[in-house]
Amino acid sequence: MEKRDEGTIEEPLDLIRLSLDERIFVKMRQDRELRGKLHAYDQHLNMILSDVEETIRVVEKDEETDEEIVKSIKRKIKMLFVRGDGVILISPPLRSN
Amino acid sequence: MLFYSFYKTLVGKEITVELKNDLAITGYLQSVDQFLNIKLRDIRVEEEQKYPYMLSVKNCFIRGSVVRYVHLPADDVDVDTLQDHARLEAREQKKAQQQ
Amino acid sequence: MSAVAPSTTSASGGAATSNNNNAQFNFFKMCIGRPVVVKLNNGVEYRGILEVVDGNMNIVMEQTEEYLNGQLKTKYGDCFLRGNNVLYISAQSKK
Repeated sequence: MEKRDEGTIEEPLDLIRLSLDERIFVKMRQDRELRGKLHAYDQHLNMILSDVEETIRVVEKDEETDEEIVKSIKRKIKMLFVRGDGVILISPPLRSN
Repeated sequence: MLFYSFYKTLVGKEITVELKNDLAITGYLQSVDQFLNIKLRDIRVEEEQKYPYMLSVKNCFIRGSVVRYVHLPADDVDVDTLQDHARLEAREQKKAQQQ
Repeated sequence: MSAVAPSTTSASGGAATSNNNNAQFNFFKMCIGRPVVVKLNNGVEYRGILEVVDGNMNIVMEQTEEYLNGQLKTKYGDCFLRGNNVLYISAQSKK
């Protein structure tokens, strides 16, 4: 039997492990998105990211025209702990197999 | 356990805890437990005028589950050690699963 | 109910533990490497090739397309979906 390889994905969390020290994209609840470099994670998907850019999508309704205006608010955070329960999706940069 | 140990190294440091209801509380980390519940002292709140009832609060206990983010002091975080610990814990987790 | 576990997957490594050995996991195993549709509780749909699933329904897919209300929104190379958001996983017939 082949020796288990640290570079292969045999369970979903392996993808996250292979993304350590890489910039990742995280989709969060409430229309929030994060881009940052991953430094730590656990099985709940709690994470620590650095040089984070957060994008929040807010829909404002124009009182007169009833038009919906979608706004993106961006902010930068140097070092951020993210609680896993708000995470929906994580995508690493393109990985060469 | 990784984040619990990590937070213990930050005791006494100033952090900002952003809650799921958008309230952001800045204060000195007093203690943390395994659920990542957090005790802060000498707190202040962003947008105080929006949350006037917070003015008289000096110390607080925050239940871990209501936290969205914690803004950390970047200089006090050793990212290399963190990554090593994360890999180590991933390996231990796998071992435990197989047994 | 003696579902057929493909011999290729059951032979790979020691990861296939006995508690995984039920109908649910046989279904997942059958889907691996095939196109699937994953719908989340928030209504968003992901179409891609299923790479791996675990007991929490955490999912890794590749060549993933994100659809909202039937419209393509984004594409991801690899993507990890946190299990608690998953409403269903649906196997697609091979094209």
